[in-house]
Amino acid sequence: MKSRLPVIVAFLAGVLMIVAFFGRGAVVDRVAEEALAWQTIVAGFALLLGVGSIVRVHWHRLATGHPDRIYSLVLLICLTVMGGSGVLFGIGSGTLFDSLFERIQAPMMSTMFSVLAFFIASAAYRAFRARNVLSAILLLTAVIVMLGRIPMGQYIYHALPDWANWIMMVPSVAVQRGIIIGAALGAASMALRVILGIERTYLGQGG
Amino acid sequence: MTIGGHKPGRTLARTRYPRIPRLWLIPICAAVLTATPAWAQEPSGVFRMERLNALVLVVVFTLAILWFLRRAVKGAKLYVRPLPGVSAVDEAVGRATEMGRPVVFIPGTGDLDEIQTIAGLSVLGRVAHVTARYTTPLRVPVLYPLPMAAAKETVREAYIDEGMADHLTPETVQYVAGESFSYSARVGGMMIREKPAAAIYMGQFRAESLLIAEVGQSTGAIQIAGTAEPDQLPFFIAACDYTLIGEELYAASAYLSGEPRLLGSLKGQDLMKVLIALVVLVGVIFVTLGYGTEWWEALLQAQ
Amino acid sequence: MDRIQSVDRRVLYTLIFISVIIPVMWPLHLPTPETPEARAFFDAVEAIPPGSVVLFPFDFWPSTLPETEPMAVAGLRHCFRRDLKVVGLSNVGIGGPSVADRLLDSIGAEYGKVYGVDYVNLGYKAGYQAVLLGMANSIAAIFPTDHRGTRLDSLPLMQRALNYDSLSFVLIVSDNAMADYWVALVNARYGLPMVAGVTAVMAPKMLSYIHTGQIKGLLGGMKGAAEYEALLGESDMASRGMDAQSLIHLLIIGFIILGNIGYVASRRRPSPARAG
Repeated sequence: MKSRLPVIVAFLAGVLMIVAFFGRGAVVDRVAEEALAWQTIVAGFALLLGVGSIVRVHWHRLATGHPDRIYSLVLLICLTVMGGSGVLFGIGSGTLFDSLFERIQAPMMSTMFSVLAFFIASAAYRAFRARNVLSAILLLTAVIVMLGRIPMGQYIYHALPDWANWIMMVPSVAVQRGIIIGAALGAASMALRVILGIERTYLGQGG
Repeated sequence: MTIGGHKPGRTLARTRYPRIPRLWLIPICAAVLTATPAWAQEPSGVFRMERLNALVLVVVFTLAILWFLRRAVKGAKLYVRPLPGVSAVDEAVGRATEMGRPVVFIPGTGDLDEIQTIAGLSVLGRVAHVTARYTTPLRVPVLYPLPMAAAKETVREAYIDEGMADHLTPETVQYVAGESFSYSARVGGMMIREKPAAAIYMGQFRAESLLIAEVGQSTGAIQIAGTAEPDQLPFFIAACDYTLIGEELYAASAYLSGEPRLLGSLKGQDLMKVLIALVVLVGVIFVTLGYGTEWWEALLQAQ
Repeated sequence: MDRIQSVDRRVLYTLIFISVIIPVMWPLHLPTPETPEARAFFDAVEAIPPGSVVLFPFDFWPSTLPETEPMAVAGLRHCFRRDLKVVGLSNVGIGGPSVADRLLDSIGAEYGKVYGVDYVNLGYKAGYQAVLLGMANSIAAIFPTDHRGTRLDSLPLMQRALNYDSLSFVLIVSDNAMADYWVALVNARYGLPMVAGVTAVMAPKMLSYIHTGQIKGLLGGMKGAAEYEALLGESDMASRGMDAQSLIHLLIIGFIILGNIGYVASRRRPSPARAG
């Protein structure tokens, strides 16, 4: 029963959402709304599990003298300060939580995002090699788009921006659509397998 | 060492596609589909008539999958083209075992309501069985709490199955932050310190994909990625050794298990793709010739 | 030649860093050629009758502010310049509403706009599906109060903006899948016209919505924001950033060419066995 119950729940939940999508009526709509609300509530409680996991792992590192325990201490302090300030003083504009977020967290997030610029450069340098005809075409396309998308491109060759636009609007969109259609079918197939209980490895069963 | 018993690409016999449906079904289906726009003018009752075409598509899709599933269970030989990325999962875990270094598995950075996360967890289940069997250290950093709970359960069941439950530690599956850049910073630091031999990324990713993959590349790990996010595929293709594109992520679990039922569902999916391609082709012809685009759009549009 | 193929990444990163610093210190003021989709974005907003109510989702995380903030700022300036009323909200829980507050107040002050009369910030509500679909019937049912805790029925603007029927347009600025949800849940069901400003990585995917007419215009990344600024006759954050982006693109192309020179040369070099 322990292994069957999650499969039964998955089946019932899947069928309910399908009926809610195609059906109409106060009962169907209400049940679907409740299901979505329950999802939000469960996710909220699951956050406690996550916080518990973080605290347990890093407290263990502190207690056992792990070489990186200083970072664990910093993490636990930051977790306490941010969580405590949000709970005690609220998270609206002008609160301590909001100030900490805007002045520490947000710049750090922007910094990490900016690191992408460096990583893109090293990835492009390493990966864009003309090993064969297809790679050479990819390389040439990338160069045309990169040049066409910057102001200097039009000074190098007047048609570069138009070529770059055409590449973005025609072959790129076509390929994106193909990938999206394939991925959507794959997702639908996977969802069907989960609903019907054929796919159970996400529960740890099978393999 | 193999993860699944099936070696894709080596099955010899080709399956036959189902026979064309009885001819009398065709005009009935055509009548239903062409009448949909008229019925949709006055939606009423329990069933949303404006979504009838979507329902027909779902029914056809389900029937196609169930058909091939049944054929697979009955023993029909199903050919599936080999996916280098899936075969490499085998090789990657083996490499980690030989080198005595951990395997890092990231089941995407989406929440549990994303089907890509489920797909990632399915592959995790299979990988966890192998790492348990060969006592290879496994690290699964997770971004959201619900996938963490699911991943813990998946890995725990796999280790119990292999009789290695005592090899699980709290550090095996960890909740790491709740924000993607904090997550990528933590995962990057972990990879630099622990120097995994294999890094497998399967699921939904956003901007952190290149951050994680590039750090993994710098540590010398063999990297296998799979995602259905078109935005992130170029980054994985540039930074990883193998990449599963779009639907290949969803197929990975079927490939790794080799289970006939799962492989059968892939064939059903392929049939739907052929049908959609035909619809696209017919639409292109109509639009090019300038005929009947409005009714074609009305037929295909779902509210 | 082997060294050309394997330049230390720290050298690459240093050169990138220098390429960013130089235009910050010595701006190049390069003009940004406009793309058709940016022009369509501008024209769509320009065509909205003055006095109309525009929904303005600030659906981006603080991490992508360098790309999304210039779009949001330019969009707000365009709206206020056209005397459009702006109803702001965010589906990003942390950071979204406060960024919206900051931008609405600062740009609103530039044009002498009054909170509650010319613009409102509804804030954030969990459950994007319920929010997007619920506002079709009643905005007040989803957001009983605004981000500052003021009841919606006490705000003059919100007495006009009751639901999607009261709105003329949606001007989305997003760095995540919310852009897709606005199109799929709002434009597809209720026909509300919209334009979108997204990060450069998302732009290729969003272009397909341009083809289908589901969005009327698109801004892609900092370049899109720079184009929009140019169309507005301004030169602000994005335009300044394009100088750095230009240099970095040229540098990356240089790296690629360098790597390929090394690769081709190493392939042409005879192998030791043959040479011996």
